[in-house]
Amino acid sequence: MSAPGGNAAASTSVLMRFLVRSWEYRRPRLWVGVRVACGIFNVILGVLLLASFRRLGPLSWLAVLPLAGAALIFWTVYRLQQDSVLRVRELEQSRAYLVDDSAARLRRIERDLHDGAQAQMVAVAMKLGLAQEKLGGMVGGARQADLERVLELVAAAHRGAKEAITELRDLARGIHPPVLDQGLGTALATLAARSEVPVELTVDLPERPSAAIETIAYFCAAELLANVTKHSGARHATLEVAHVPGLLRLRVSDDGTGGARIEAHGGLAGLAERVATVDGKLQISSPPGGPTVIAVELPSHA
Amino acid sequence: MRIVIAEDSAVVRAGLAEILADHGHQVAAAVGNAEDLLAAVDQHQPDAAVVDVRMPPSYTDEGLRAAIAIRRDHPKTGVLVFSQYIETRYTADLLGAASGGGAAGVGYLLKDRVADVGEFIEALSRVAAGGTALDPEVVSQLLRASRRADGLASLTPREHDVLALMAEGRSNGAIAAALVISERAVEKHVANIFSKLGLAPSDADHRRVLAVLRYLES
Repeated sequence: MSAPGGNAAASTSVLMRFLVRSWEYRRPRLWVGVRVACGIFNVILGVLLLASFRRLGPLSWLAVLPLAGAALIFWTVYRLQQDSVLRVRELEQSRAYLVDDSAARLRRIERDLHDGAQAQMVAVAMKLGLAQEKLGGMVGGARQADLERVLELVAAAHRGAKEAITELRDLARGIHPPVLDQGLGTALATLAARSEVPVELTVDLPERPSAAIETIAYFCAAELLANVTKHSGARHATLEVAHVPGLLRLRVSDDGTGGARIEAHGGLAGLAERVATVDGKLQISSPPGGPTVIAVELPSHA
Repeated sequence: MRIVIAEDSAVVRAGLAEILADHGHQVAAAVGNAEDLLAAVDQHQPDAAVVDVRMPPSYTDEGLRAAIAIRRDHPKTGVLVFSQYIETRYTADLLGAASGGGAAGVGYLLKDRVADVGEFIEALSRVAAGGTALDPEVVSQLLRASRRADGLASLTPREHDVLALMAEGRSNGAIAAALVISERAVEKHVANIFSKLGLAPSDADHRRVLAVLRYLES
């Protein structure tokens, strides 16, 4: 990442920047206020000195000093504000890039797994399945004990290969759910269908949010529905997603026992963090006895 | 049977061709993308096409869309779609295409199901003959997602098993073999299921599958 506002750095007083920089980002409004107050004070001082021009006589040139000081302060405030604006914009851009880039990378990994290991294992399982069938037909002939042993081994290898396929599938789905390529609505429909607690799904997506936001929304929905199944004891849940200009809203509610809250290193804490990477919000309403309503709000493009 | 295979992974394509040839079926063409698949089906008019959902160029649902096109344009060709993942939406799309079409059937299996060679060949034969073959995972998802929980709850555990196998598209004989009961017993269970769910009885295997699936999805 390049240094923010390089031009501003060159033209603003180095000492001034050094003194105020760290505070600038922590309490920006306070420091802008302090400097504007100093500037106004200097303007008043300069005007008073000019007004007393006659009495001061030859010392009246001193009036120039506070006026020049005021100008310097106003100018510095302006540059630093510009600097902050530039920095925020740059951080937003770099973060959006990172988020998009990691989503693209995950999609690639999922595809590599699908085309590579998964396809390979399917082929192995098919061959073993065929061998098993063949050997099964031969048992009863000569060296029956040997053949039975071979059949047993092949059957075991067959099971192992099939287990590997299942594991790979779960791994790949966790990295990037391929159904997301079809859009968030389809992905959520599949998620809802897979849930053990019946889920009523409402989708209102007149346009697609960016890929990164879809991914975050999908994993939020997956985690929240898994929580409903694991913890709530609910008999019924609803999943609503709506796209309003600039925002994607996701809401999961259930008629379970309530009491959901953010705990350190818990699933909800992880979700809140993930949502925060794109300046999203996660709100929980879950009184003891229920119902639980968890609302996630994301910018539609990150 | 004469079969066309569409699968982008060369190893899986070769494996499929090997299994089919070994069981005495003729592989008319084995292609790697949806466009070639449609051309091959036009040219060879096969009994069935085995189609991977994800193929080039976009690796999303090319195979599925090709399968639906085949169902529309070639009523005599059965289509068995298979994929690494089960997506319930695909099931609805395929069955929609099937109920609008002629006699030939559709199937949707998980890719690893192909490794159970006997069952795979059986499913493919069923589809080629105009029947239905749905993966057990598709059926369990449909059962779980169904809003007809009350109707389903009125079934005995055994009837529930029979319903699941019936939804997969299996015949009474196959259900009897899978559950190790007599065919007469299966017939009785099927009759009970249809009367408990309020469905009109149907003899043809694929028609009763559609009836059951429509019930689950309504």
